[in-house]
Amino acid sequence: MPDPSVLHRLVRDVTREVRLRRAEFFALRGLFVAAAVAAVPLVLREALGSVALAAAGGLLLLGAGVGAVVGALKRVPETEAARLADRGFDFQDRVATCLEWAERPDRTPLVEALVADTIARVEGRQGRRIIPRLLPREAKLIPVPLVLGLILALAPPIPLPAGGLPNFSAKTEEGQERAQDRYGRLQADERPRAAKREAFPRADLPERNLVPRQGAGGQSQPGDLTAVFKDTSLGSKSPDFNSFLKKGDERIRMLEQVDRLPDLQRDFTQSQHKVVFQRAKELRGGLRPDQVSPEKLRELLNEMERLGRKGGAGNPWNGDIGEGMEALEQGQTDKAMEAMERALSKMRSAEEKGRDGKGLRGGRESDRRGGQRDRGQGQGGPGDEGDFPEGGEGLYPGKGKSPSRKGDPSQRLRANPFDVGVEGESRQGRKEGFDTNLLGRGAHMPSRLRYLGVVGQYRKMMEEAIAREQVPRDFQTQVKQYFQSLDEK
Amino acid sequence: MDQPAPSAETQAQRAREFVTAHRMLRSEVQKIIVGHDDVIDHVLIGLFAGGHILIEGVPGLGKTLLIRTLASSLDLSFSRIQFTPDLMPGDIIGTNMIVEDAEGRKRFQFQRGPIFGHILLADEVNRATPKTQSALLEGMQEGSVTVSGTAHMLPAPFFVLATQNPIEMEGTYPLPEAQLDRFLFKLRVKYPALEELNEIINRTTRVREVAVERVMTGPEVMGYRELIREVPIASHIRDLASFIVLATHPQWERAPEMTRRFVRYGSSPRGAQALVLGAKVRALADGRYNVSLDDLRAMALPALRHRIILNFEGEAEGVDTDHLIAELIEAAESLSAAGKDAFLR
Repeated sequence: MPDPSVLHRLVRDVTREVRLRRAEFFALRGLFVAAAVAAVPLVLREALGSVALAAAGGLLLLGAGVGAVVGALKRVPETEAARLADRGFDFQDRVATCLEWAERPDRTPLVEALVADTIARVEGRQGRRIIPRLLPREAKLIPVPLVLGLILALAPPIPLPAGGLPNFSAKTEEGQERAQDRYGRLQADERPRAAKREAFPRADLPERNLVPRQGAGGQSQPGDLTAVFKDTSLGSKSPDFNSFLKKGDERIRMLEQVDRLPDLQRDFTQSQHKVVFQRAKELRGGLRPDQVSPEKLRELLNEMERLGRKGGAGNPWNGDIGEGMEALEQGQTDKAMEAMERALSKMRSAEEKGRDGKGLRGGRESDRRGGQRDRGQGQGGPGDEGDFPEGGEGLYPGKGKSPSRKGDPSQRLRANPFDVGVEGESRQGRKEGFDTNLLGRGAHMPSRLRYLGVVGQYRKMMEEAIAREQVPRDFQTQVKQYFQSLDEK
Repeated sequence: MDQPAPSAETQAQRAREFVTAHRMLRSEVQKIIVGHDDVIDHVLIGLFAGGHILIEGVPGLGKTLLIRTLASSLDLSFSRIQFTPDLMPGDIIGTNMIVEDAEGRKRFQFQRGPIFGHILLADEVNRATPKTQSALLEGMQEGSVTVSGTAHMLPAPFFVLATQNPIEMEGTYPLPEAQLDRFLFKLRVKYPALEELNEIINRTTRVREVAVERVMTGPEVMGYRELIREVPIASHIRDLASFIVLATHPQWERAPEMTRRFVRYGSSPRGAQALVLGAKVRALADGRYNVSLDDLRAMALPALRHRIILNFEGEAEGVDTDHLIAELIEAAESLSAAGKDAFLR
């Protein structure tokens, strides 16, 4: 094995060169800082005397010297020096490879050939500096503080301001006395004295005269304009704290009845039942029962129970809610979900009955209004909704008398509006899915999936597709908005 | 009995022989092929690195001629398969046939397919069905094929050179990623320049026949393959290879922005192996006993361009994989110590 000491010597040379360049670099940087600092003793030359010039010069030398020492002492790893040598002498990473592999026990015979080849190249190299001189950014600015310092050194000393700065703080008596002692009584007497501030006289709060004013109940004199502004009502009344306390108690009692408080975060454009349906849909969202958050399920059940209480004691879903709560207490989320589903379906049917009862039989809104108007003719005031003209079909494009330009809605389906049927079947395989076929009414379908559940699954697939970047970025917002619009329907 | 380890002088001598043999082989190929110097170099690097090459280019650029010339320059058997949609795996590998011996007894005998050659030209490999394309997989990776439960070793060296045409994509079956990954390099054959075109005309429209000599044998190729694996690589260069490969992965936490934006899947570890092996061959062919940063940079394009799969956005914006790799190399150099200036640290 050839002796790689030549390579180590090369690396040492490069290290020395790096240190030299670093010393130059940091010396210049230190010189700049020192030159800026050296201006201070030159400014204070009047006070410091001849020491100022020496101090400034010393600072310059110190800054440059400290910078040079810091730069020279910075560590230069051998591997980096070897790479710099490779780059500088165009050795194509031979030196770094040699130094790394020469000592390794698993070196191959080719490594010896490599070392021999590299040594031959290193010995045949031309001695030149390979590390370029690098100047710090501050180096360009060094003349500025140097010239400034030179001007300060050559110019006459800058006179320092005599005396101290005026004391803006309020002096105490003791302070004044101390000042008098310091400058002497005579000098102190010559100084202009600030007029002593007199203490501001605090007016005593006059006692209020609660006696009713003279003009309160009496006649005002003609030409007495102040009578216009006189409060004639308050003065005559005594404060009634009892009624105030009574009203306050009533309000506090109202606040205690939480169920009657309005939920300000809720969208009141929708019925509370519908809100519950939407929350249930969000809760399920394509998740399995064991993935559903129990806290959210409990909140939903509480909400349904509160709805049931509002509706009266005879609500059919109260029992299911109770079962659901019990199941939740026992940690059986799947049973609680089933109970919640049962309660929801009962709530739907109750809602549907309510709709039937309210006369939502399809047909035109105006027809139903007409019937109501017949029953209560003459009761509506101006601006009542029943005031639009009855005469003539097709007031606007469309079939009926509705003012809507789109015409009237078609006959409503008698099916449940919340679970429009989607026929399909579960598809097993590498990726579970549903082959669906939207066929309109879902009530009589042989196999029915809940619309909301299916939408939840598609939403999940959409989110996965976006996460996997299968949807172009420009279309991601559009796709999300589409699914959001499905939620709002 | 173990053979004694060769001495340094012997290995240095072999390395010098390799340099000479490589130059001779290169000049033999260049007798026929005009231009395409980088393609010739990369094909030879692939041969000595022990990998397989996928060559892509429009028709008429001399892809097949290049491979035929290489096969003529080596003292090795050569077979060619023209891939067509109706080609079956048995047509490549071979099949068991019933034969009757002298005594009248019938038995199955394995009839070797064209894959049993040293140099295999798979012409227009993307014309065959994936089933047939996959018949090459085992042979390319393991050097053997299995028929009816019996493994048959392929001759060594076994070198597959596949060509594909990037423009007539209708009715073709793009190679699956698993098979693409088996290729050490993917080379792109560019259209010749004016001088090269003139030279092609001069060479091919005259009566004179150019004879190509066989300059290397199979055992020599195998010997050089072993020698190449002994070439040392410094740790900072190996680190750069790893950084380059990792930089192709969008999941990597330090991946460059371009990778995160345009890449779906990055290179496999085979990409790093291809980088380093190719760099070793290039170094030794250049007469060096060590791998340099330049070797690594030169190997990045052919070793990685078929291992990076662009995502939809990358495809839609027409991102060029070569351009992407060039940027990844810069990013990787700034991440690794190889590209940093040690002066002020």
